[in-house]
Amino acid sequence: MKKVLIASLILAPHIAYAADTPIVGNVQTRCLITTDTNGVFGNPLPSKLSTASADGGVVPVVRYDVTLADAYLAKVTTPTAFSASPSLSDSVTWTGSTAVSKTSDAAMSGYEAAKVTYGSTTQFDLTKAGSTWFSSTATAVYGVSKSFPGGSYTAIVLAECIAK
Amino acid sequence: MRAILLLALLPFCNAVAHEMTPTYPTFSLSFMPGISVTTLNIFNKRMDVSYYEIGVFTDEWEPVPFVSQYTVIPMKYLDTVSFDVYVSNLSLGSVEYICSVSQIQTGATVSSKICSRIK
Repeated sequence: MKKVLIASLILAPHIAYAADTPIVGNVQTRCLITTDTNGVFGNPLPSKLSTASADGGVVPVVRYDVTLADAYLAKVTTPTAFSASPSLSDSVTWTGSTAVSKTSDAAMSGYEAAKVTYGSTTQFDLTKAGSTWFSSTATAVYGVSKSFPGGSYTAIVLAECIAK
Repeated sequence: MRAILLLALLPFCNAVAHEMTPTYPTFSLSFMPGISVTTLNIFNKRMDVSYYEIGVFTDEWEPVPFVSQYTVIPMKYLDTVSFDVYVSNLSLGSVEYICSVSQIQTGATVSSKICSRIK
């Protein structure tokens, strides 16, 4: 009887601790860059390649997910050269732009107006936590109304997420 | 000749992602005197990317000498890789960004770059 009493006294505090066992976790600040839609060049004119839907192309869309407000800058750079193409003997003139196409939070509506563009890069300040979709249009014009040689053309959009 | 010219060979709406943590890494003393170390993690959810290049930069985006297990990290799809970045204490004050950049293979149309910042 005495042993049972001692054992129960020893166990009692442990039972109390078991009831309070915490579950711990660590959520880190992070930025996730996701390619939502790969782009496709349309060829509306022999001398023009364009991702615009009006030109028969598909606009590439990149999604940024950030878990902490005001921690990251998003920079999206449209292409200024082909990464793969047939041999080209004349110059290619590139134009491009990037815009916010969708947001997960209405409070992100100011991103588009506050964007900063320099060269082919557009910078957005991700001041809210959540997801933002950016779409980029890119247009390449070959020489002075010269026809692009037949073949496959690839160009790269650079999506950067820079901690502030 | 009018060809349909593809920017991408991959299927549409095939979401692929790149992640690097922590956002604000901190350096600590390493096992070697005069050298500091920090640890970062990359998660590769890009089927079209098998390698990520690591870079260390100043606030003016000048490269800073560093040592890591790999400068270009081989990664399988859905892999998480933890890597150490060693920097001399002499250059530690100028380190501002540690970045990982996807190495594009044929068919990929988006290159992703994530930079953590030393505060």
